[in-house]
Amino acid sequence: MPSSDSEDFESADEGRNSPSKKERKKRLSSSNYSDNLEFDLETKKDAPLAKSNAKDVAEAADGWDDFDIEEEAKPSTKNITEKATVIKSDTKPTGVINTNAKSEIQPEISQDTGWDDFDDWGDTETACNIKEDQLEPQSENKYSNIKEVTERLASASTKNEGWGWGWGVDSIFSTATAGISTLTSQVSQGISTVLETSIGAPDPEELARKSKDIHSQQTLSKEPSTEKSQIDSSKDTHNNEGQFPFGSLISGMTKFVETTGTKVLAGGLDTLETIGKKTMEVLQDGDPGLAKKRAMLGLDSDDKPVLSQVLREAKAKAEEEDRIREQKREAKEVHYESLFDDFEGLVHLEALEMLSRQVSMRIDERLRSVDPSKRQDIKETLQQVAELCEMPDDDEEEELEESGDMSKSDTLHERLLASTRDIGLKMQYQPLIKQYTDTLEWLASDPNLTEKAIYKRAVSSLAQATALSVEVYHKTAEMLLVKPRRSTADEADALTQMTVVLTKHISDIATLFTEKLNSITSEDKEQVNSHITNIFLEADNSSKYIQNAFQLALPIIQIGAV
Amino acid sequence: MAYAYLFKYIIIGDTGVGKSCLLLQFTDKRFQPVHDLTIGVEFGARMITIDGKQIKLQIWDTAGQEAFRSITRSYYRGAAGALLVYDITRRDTFNHLTTWLEDARQHSNSNMVIMLIGNKSDLESRREVKKEEGEAFAREHGLVFMETSAKTAANVEEAFINTAKEIYEKIQEGVFDINNEANGIKIGPQHSTGGGTSGAGGAGTGGAAGGGCC
Repeated sequence: MPSSDSEDFESADEGRNSPSKKERKKRLSSSNYSDNLEFDLETKKDAPLAKSNAKDVAEAADGWDDFDIEEEAKPSTKNITEKATVIKSDTKPTGVINTNAKSEIQPEISQDTGWDDFDDWGDTETACNIKEDQLEPQSENKYSNIKEVTERLASASTKNEGWGWGWGVDSIFSTATAGISTLTSQVSQGISTVLETSIGAPDPEELARKSKDIHSQQTLSKEPSTEKSQIDSSKDTHNNEGQFPFGSLISGMTKFVETTGTKVLAGGLDTLETIGKKTMEVLQDGDPGLAKKRAMLGLDSDDKPVLSQVLREAKAKAEEEDRIREQKREAKEVHYESLFDDFEGLVHLEALEMLSRQVSMRIDERLRSVDPSKRQDIKETLQQVAELCEMPDDDEEEELEESGDMSKSDTLHERLLASTRDIGLKMQYQPLIKQYTDTLEWLASDPNLTEKAIYKRAVSSLAQATALSVEVYHKTAEMLLVKPRRSTADEADALTQMTVVLTKHISDIATLFTEKLNSITSEDKEQVNSHITNIFLEADNSSKYIQNAFQLALPIIQIGAV
Repeated sequence: MAYAYLFKYIIIGDTGVGKSCLLLQFTDKRFQPVHDLTIGVEFGARMITIDGKQIKLQIWDTAGQEAFRSITRSYYRGAAGALLVYDITRRDTFNHLTTWLEDARQHSNSNMVIMLIGNKSDLESRREVKKEEGEAFAREHGLVFMETSAKTAANVEEAFINTAKEIYEKIQEGVFDINNEANGIKIGPQHSTGGGTSGAGGAGTGGAAGGGCC
């Protein structure tokens, strides 16, 4: 009971400034301080985990801050207001806490008297004791301790802000608050009330508002308010009833307050530690390693990089990059598109596209400018030419017999010339023929070719044959455009036949290489099969390029007819 | 092969002034006195280095014959640089410059760098167009001027490379929008061979790759 405590100390501490007392205080404060340190260290040691911990403690610190309210009315009010703006968490104060909050603020109204601190104590005797402590200047040390804790926690919370803590993380707060409320019931009796008060953290905004209200009230009618508080305190703090008059109370209270304060402090720090631990338990409940909460709060390794980890990651990244670069370099060697570009296939295709576009525009222009009655005729003609240029189905293509004594490349040349016999242009197939000859010779030259060499050459040969084919279309288109006398049907037929021959040529090349790959003995059958698949894919790709080129040439054939 | 930029050039001018020979000298470093008439357009490419960057010059060597004029005009589009060539031994080729220039200006983008070239400077004895005349024409039309010899290779490199430098400067000045391929500039393929991380959307791939041309 506070009353007995008070009496005990009244007798023990008669000499107010006795050295023993100072010593004790020192001892107390130092031990407390080291406790603080320990706690603080723990907070830091636990790195990100402790951050969430610290945050909840920081909330408790808000409670502790309330002491400031009584200590220095105005600055603390400001303090609370600040907090109020900072903290937006949804710690909904219970009814009890609300009254507590009131009781804690009200004293400051009549701080001048120093006695009004007692008003509204009622429900928390221990809290009352602590507040009485303020009356005693000598217990400042302890207060500085409390303040230290408060400041630490406050600074921790500020620091946390810097680490990217959002204050809006309601769910954690509520979880933690709930957890701590449960916890407090398990902690020692007297302290629990204090904690409840402090951890219950009444809505700071409300606090601030109330303190402000009360402050204005105070200025308006200081006397009545003081009176009211006096009545309240005399009613609630039964132990002080008799001592209420000034003077005698001071000495009595000093000792009473000191012990209680000490107890509260010692117990409080233990409690804080327990709270810390409990908080972690609560936080980690259903979230081992706080993975979810950390993710939610964005506390990644980026926030707090560990050098070794960073270096390890950098090394791994560099190795990965090297590997990818090597892969790319190898891939580029057999990269169809870049080979096709290197063989000028792309630029011929581009030029053919430009011609095709320009000619198409000319056709459109002609359609617009022509007499509407003739427009339909022109459209029909264009359509007929387009139909002439449709590729025959593969099935219709009868397999041409190998012409006896002719070499494969000569056969190709023969077929190409035959297909474009009626086009009316001097077609240049030599580059295509030469490339084919070279390819055939290369395949026949070395019986010990590696699968990789064959594959590389296959892709390169396909890309080159395609590029040369596209060049043929481009050149043909150019020559058709400057051809004095056009014969659209022949041209259409010739280019269609040529496309058939060229497509066949591409598939012949692919077959040559896949047969070669199949003929060699390789341990890596899977790799060989993958190569064969790729060769057929690139051959398909080649055929598409050729047919695309043919389609681009279509307007050039069409314009001859309109 | 990896390059930071690709510049499209066109070579234009009367037939027989030595356009294809200039290209051959630049790409293959050789001279061929007898050359087939160019049909439509022929291509050449070479890698050069400017400011430590690999630049691929893709040269469109157009036919000078009148018959191909309508075709070659459609190729002007999307060129970053043009070599306008005349023959110092044939005054008519010089006289036609205005027509060529109009054509070029009309069918290409306005930022195209045009280099005026008086070719066959090795044939001093047959000179019909004074160097000063070429210089004056260039000055008048805001062109860069140079006399070259595809035969002796005199100034051939310079003609191509100086044009590229001017284009490069225009890129640095922000005159050319490199993302618009109609300007005749393409940013190199993003497979970096050198080792530098390729800058996003910009100054391009690390160009440590061994050059050479196709």
